[in-house]
Formats: sequence, C-alpha cells, structure tokens
Amino acid sequence: MKKTPVLSFFLIMLLFLILAGCAPQEIEQKAGPDAKDTKAVETRTEERIAKAEPVVVRLEGGDWGYPTPFAHYSRGPGSALMRYIFDSLLERDEKGYIPWLAERWEIFDEGKRYVFHIRPGVKWQDGQPLTARDVAFSFNYYREHPPVWKDDLVLDKDYLLDISVLSDRQVEFVVSEARATFLEAAGRVSIIPEHIWTKVDKPDEFSGPEAVIGSGPLRLVDYSKEHGTYRYEAYGEFWGPRVRVDVLEFVPVSDPVLALEKGEIDLASIPADVLHRFKENPAYTVMENPGFWGYRLRFNMQKLPEFQNRDLRRAFAYTINREELVEKIARGEAIPGNPGILSPHHRWYNPQVPQYEHNSEKARELLAGLNANLKPAYELLVGGDREVRIGELLKEQLSQAGIELRVTSVDMKTRDARIAEGNYQLVLVGHGGWGQDPDYLRTRFVGAEGDWFSGTPGYANPEVDRLAQEQLKETNESRRKELIFRLQQLLAEDVPEIPLFLTTGHTVFRHESYDGWMHVFDHHAPTHNKLSYLERE
Amino acid sequence: MIFSFRPLANLEFVDMSVKKSWPRAIEYLLTFLVIITLNFSLPRLMPGDPFLHLSGEAGEIVEAYTEEQRRYFLEYYGLDRPLLEQYWNYLGELARGNLGFSYYYKEPVVNLIARRLPWTLLLVTSATLFSLLFGVLLGSFSAWRRGRWQDRFLYLFMVVFGEIPAFLIGLVLLIFLAAGLGLFPLAGAMTHFARYASFWEKLKDILHHAVLPVLTLTLARTGGIYLLVRNSLGTVLTRDFMCTARAKGLAEFRIRYRHALRNALLPLVTRIALQMGTMVGGAVLAENVFAYPGLGRLMRDAVFVRDYPLLQGIFLVLAMGVMGANLCVDLLYRRLDPRTKTVNVGDMKNWQDSAAEDR
Repeated sequence: MKKTPVLSFFLIMLLFLILAGCAPQEIEQKAGPDAKDTKAVETRTEERIAKAEPVVVRLEGGDWGYPTPFAHYSRGPGSALMRYIFDSLLERDEKGYIPWLAERWEIFDEGKRYVFHIRPGVKWQDGQPLTARDVAFSFNYYREHPPVWKDDLVLDKDYLLDISVLSDRQVEFVVSEARATFLEAAGRVSIIPEHIWTKVDKPDEFSGPEAVIGSGPLRLVDYSKEHGTYRYEAYGEFWGPRVRVDVLEFVPVSDPVLALEKGEIDLASIPADVLHRFKENPAYTVMENPGFWGYRLRFNMQKLPEFQNRDLRRAFAYTINREELVEKIARGEAIPGNPGILSPHHRWYNPQVPQYEHNSEKARELLAGLNANLKPAYELLVGGDREVRIGELLKEQLSQAGIELRVTSVDMKTRDARIAEGNYQLVLVGHGGWGQDPDYLRTRFVGAEGDWFSGTPGYANPEVDRLAQEQLKETNESRRKELIFRLQQLLAEDVPEIPLFLTTGHTVFRHESYDGWMHVFDHHAPTHNKLSYLERE
Repeated sequence: MIFSFRPLANLEFVDMSVKKSWPRAIEYLLTFLVIITLNFSLPRLMPGDPFLHLSGEAGEIVEAYTEEQRRYFLEYYGLDRPLLEQYWNYLGELARGNLGFSYYYKEPVVNLIARRLPWTLLLVTSATLFSLLFGVLLGSFSAWRRGRWQDRFLYLFMVVFGEIPAFLIGLVLLIFLAAGLGLFPLAGAMTHFARYASFWEKLKDILHHAVLPVLTLTLARTGGIYLLVRNSLGTVLTRDFMCTARAKGLAEFRIRYRHALRNALLPLVTRIALQMGTMVGGAVLAENVFAYPGLGRLMRDAVFVRDYPLLQGIFLVLAMGVMGANLCVDLLYRRLDPRTKTVNVGDMKNWQDSAAEDR
C-alpha cells in the first residue's frame, strides 16, 4: 500500500506515453486512405514506370481547419485549402474571372436575371455527376447555414429573389436590381454535392470523409488537426486542365528558411534579410508578391469632429512619409499606399491622383490655416508588435508638423472590439483584400453602407456617395472602370483615410520540385489558388 | 526568487489532512466551484467576442463577419442569452461531462484537448524528470563542495544559464543540432504520412522528435532546481542532526542521501507541485520553436480568438492538474517526512514555527 502513489505515478506516465503514441494513428485512419503502405508503394512504382517521378510538393503546414466550406477557420488560408477541393461557377486567373463550373453565362432584363450553363461531364470525387441541381442546392443551403466565407449579396433573400433549375445544365438567378458585383459574388460560391449535404443539419460539426468530397482538382486524403498536416492527391477524373501535382502535403515547419534550405518544403515566404542566399542560388526562383495586404490609418470623424476638416487630414497625408515606413518597417518589402485607396497593383488603379509627397512645411501651413485654438494631439490605437513600431514611427513623423500622437497598444481582438464600438480617435488596421472588387470604396466611405469593420464613422461626401452608388449599378465594365477612376480621384483629394503601405514580400520556390506557381489577379499568395497546381496554356 | 521560497501550500495541505475528511471534501468542492465560475467568467471579461474580428497579422487572410453574421453566430451558440442562463447551461453541460463545442476549431472541446494533452505531457513530464535528475545531482554536488571552485563554477554557470529564455535555447539547439548537424528533425512531433512497421519504430520516431523540445525545457528548468537544492541542502548540512549522524559513525553515503538529501528535498517537492500550473504554459515556448502540437499553443490561440468553450475546457484541465498535483504532493510528503502523518494541529504549529526559524 505504501508504494501505491509512486507506482500509480509511473503507471500514469506510461499511459500518457502510450496515448501519445496511439492518438494520432486513430486520427490518420479516420481521416483517409493509406498513405505509404506497401500497396501504395507498389502503385507508385508502377506509376513511376508509366511516367516520370510523381510530383510531390510540400508546403508549410499549420491547422486551418477541416477544409469544408463550414469548418475551415476564419483566420488563415483555410478557405484556399477548401477551394482546392470545391469548385465554384467562376475562377480567377492572372487577368480576371474565367469560366469554371459554368462554361458560360447570360445576363437578361438589364442585369436582373442570370442564366449559368453548367459544364457537362463534371463528376464529384465520389463518382456522382455534378448538375445544375447541386448549384441551386448549394446557394439555398448556404442561406440556411452560412458558410465561413460568404458574400452578403448571395445570402440576402431580399436581393437574390429566386434560384431555379432550368435543366440539368442550366440554373437561373433572379435578383431585385442590377449590381456590378453579383456575378463575382455568385461566381465565388463553393458548390457542394446535394446528395451528401442534404442530410446534414449541423454543417460545422460534419467532419467525416464525405464532407470533403468536391469536384476540384485535389482531394483530401489525410488531415491531422493537432499536427496541422494535410495531404492532398490529384483527383484523376478532374474535368479540367491536367493536374500537374500528384501529391500536395502540408507539414509542420519550425523555421521556413531552414526548412526550405533543408528540402523539407518546396516553397516559402522569405524575409528580405536572407533573400540574397536564395537569389544567388540557381536552384531557387524568387517571385515578388503583389501588394494586396495593407495597413490603413483611419480617422474617427464621429468621435472627433475636428477630423471632418479636410485640411487637417491633408496635413496628416503630407507629414506621413510612406516611403520611410516601407524602408524602416517593411525593410523595403512593400509599396507605399495610394491616397486614392486602391492598391497600386490593383487592375483599376488610377495613377493620376494627388500623391501628397512628404512635405512637413506644407503640413505646417495647412495646420496654421486651421482654427488657432487647435492643439493637434491624438491617441492612435494599434495592435501588437509590428504595429507598435509603425505607431512609433508615425508619432515621430507627425511631431515634425507639430501633431502630437499618443500610441496605445492593445491586443488585436481588443482593438477590433474598440473599432466596433467606435471607441478610438485614430486607429491602425492591417488586412488583406486590397486587390478585390473596388466596391470596397463604397463600403469604406459611404456612411450609411459602411460595415462596422471598414466604414469611416462621421465621414460624408455626397459626390462620393453618388459615384459609389452609380458604379455599383453599372454593369458595363469600361463605364464602371471610369467611375472607379473618378472615385479614386475624389477620395485622394478628400483623404478620408491614409493607406500607409501594402506588403509585397517574396515567395521563393525550388523549381526542380515544382514550378507552376502563379498569382491570380487580386491575391498576394501563389499557394492560395488551385490554378498553381494545374497545367496552363 | 529561489531564496524567498516558502513551502506554504504543502503545510496547508498537511493541515487539512489532519481534519476530518468531510469538511475537506467540501473545501475541494468549493474550490472546484470557484474555479469553474472563474473559468466561465474570465474569458467573457476580455474585450471583444469570438465573432468580432477584422484584422490579421502581416499577410494573414481573415474572413470578417458582418454585424448580421455576427448576430447569427451569437444566437447559434447561445451567446445572446443572459449571462446567468449561459452559466447554468454551462454547469448543466459540465455535470453531464460535456465541455462544449469550440466556436473556432469547430470540434468538441474534449477531442481537441485529448489529442493535444498527451504531447504536452510527454514534453513536460520528461523535461521535469530530467531537470529534477540533473538539478538534484548538480545541486547536491555543489552543496557538498560549498565554497570550493567546483561550487563557484557550477553556481555561476547555472545562474547564467537559468536566465536564458527557453525559446532562445530552443533556437540555438534547432540551428546547431537539427539544421547544422542534422541529428534531429527540424519540426513536429512525428514523421508525417508515414506508416510504421511496428509500434517500436513509431515510438522511436516520436522520441527522436521529442529530444530537442525536451532538452530545451530541461535546460531551461535545471537552473532553478539546482539553486533550490544547493541552498536547501546547504542549510540542512549545518543542522544539529547532521552532527549527530556523523557522531554515530554512519557511512558517508548514508549521511548524504538518507539524512541530508531527504530533508533537503521537501521544498523541492512543493516547488514541483506549485509549478504544475505553469508547466503547460511554459511548454508553449518550446512548442512554438519546434512547431510541436501541444496544449500550450492551443491555449495561446484560444485566447487570441476568444474561443470561450475551449478556454473553459483548457483552464479546467489545468486546474484539475494543479489540484491533482497537490494531492500527489500531500501523499508524497507523508512518505518523505513521516512527521506529517501522525502530527496533530498543535504540533503542526510548532513545526511551522521551527520551519520558519530555519528559513
């Protein structure tokens, strides 16, 4: 009896060791078919004989959730991993949207009725045919059970009035009014198989192998949540271009630079300090990413009405040296923000707008013309780490024009909560999506339509409102582009916020392992699109 | 820090052990209730909620929810109901053994914890055992050589080493042993997508992956234990009963290990028990460096995304771990120090006073 506690302690330890050994195995079995058993090795050998070495690509892993439209996480590339499996009506390439599951579409009644023609011969990864019924089902299902990624427009029953299946290959959408953004919004919805999901009541808890059956080029064969690993294999009966990658694996990585050099992964984002090592090595190709991820300085004109004065905001624009931010904070791996808001890499970027070259004198003059009692001293709310450094540099720069800044750093969630409450004077926010449809100019700057997260409280400019509404209804692309150009001009003159810089950075890959990496027209990471794994013309 | 150590916790436990068992059970129950109430309220006191986010770290994609979507999720997970109702629901579910469903990870909390806990325990228990072994060996060596060059050298070395943060040790090990010499894997807890011929092969692979994280944590923790043992044994060596033992002509080995070390270990046991609560959090540093799938990382991420059910679950497991560790120490203490078994409350007081004088 005396020895019981000691004995039990060691027994418990032994149990944990065994548990540690056993737990992942169960999950692997649940997650998918064999990976490297003898049968698979035999098949692979046969394949090797039939064709060249199989193409196995390894990337930096991490847990971003089970890749279904409902279970991937809201942070990180989970939606991209889901899109490897699930197709949508349209897809994106280097230039814009391209036909995908919909081989073509027609627009009737001045943009109020859409008919999509579904590609023939598309099969789900379980062999069932994909038809227009699946498309209609997906849209209806998402209305009842919102997925993680969604566009309000396609979930809004007051806007998308009717979805009907005209035939096995035709689906029709009726909307309440013409909107330029509907085609893309509908085109990006991931299509799920009716025969599987119709039985599912709680899609976020649905996690069996059936949940990851899509029609895309890659199928998931293994996933481990705690290790953050994914294994995809090419789907042999994919309807589209040849899949160039046979196996795609996401594995845990401690340090991407070391892992790339040691051959544990085939592609990584490499910081500027060590980039030269890869540039000089002929085994690697270095790609510069487009700047679609950026930091904005936002004014709360509701809480602090003095920000409604355009000259005060312009004084900020003249004082802030965006080039210096690029050099000192992003180590040169960024492009300065555009006063016209859209990223300079955006396909509809207007280069003619006022640029507010750094000029403290000009800022002082503007400030001198303001109310003599104004003592410009403000609180700038920032998140952690890098944002604190940006805040400190802004503080130093603005002090040159006599604007005093108090930098308050909180954790990201707290900052986001304070934005939602409107409890800030100036706030620094970083996020992606700067390459997407320019309708974000409307949601950021049209008072009544601003989202809680991106709107500009207290800002009102009737001309901006008018142009923003007009572009939304304009379905002719060149006329809409012209409106967006005018909107950028207006916003650059008005400075309702200051885009500071957009990070670019470098993606380095070992071309001998795989060389198909490409950027789609509106996104910064080449691994976040399925076209990178497909044969291109 | 080490020198101001006071073994209060175990004294309280000893004190409790002499009372009748039913009030003690009530004390446990009350402690448990307080803990789960704190577990419930602390995450909800943090600013922000699980569905309110818009920004990311550089390059990170974030799917922000609109106000409508946020309301939908708050309703879906019952977060729109009054706090008291949520609390009762939580207690009810807990009574049925249900820890809830994670908002962010979209999986039952029990599964999430059960898959990660073994990995953290593997790291933490091995690192604790190794650091205990080295700490006690080196600490007692130093105490016996007190004042001589061996002691001075070890002391300096350990003080300096003990102050290096775990992640830095980890990085150095990673760069030299894993990347440079290629002796160990760079990351993870096992080789992925591999099939093992036998259980032993798998065990070997897992242990191979665990070497560097365990070494990191061991190196980071040995310093503290060394200092404690050195100091505690140093005090014991000057006590009268050591003189008595020598006068009795006992063998040196028996004096050192049976009489001196055993008495010096008491504060160490308490220290290890008190550390149990911080161990999972402490492991996060090594887990980060080596991309190791532990509970520490999960806890950090759960705080970051404000995943209430997961936070409640992890805190509960940690709290139960600490309470369990205290119980273990209580039992161990009785073995190490027979006085605590038969002592009554009055004697306890005297004992505490004399212990205080010793310090």
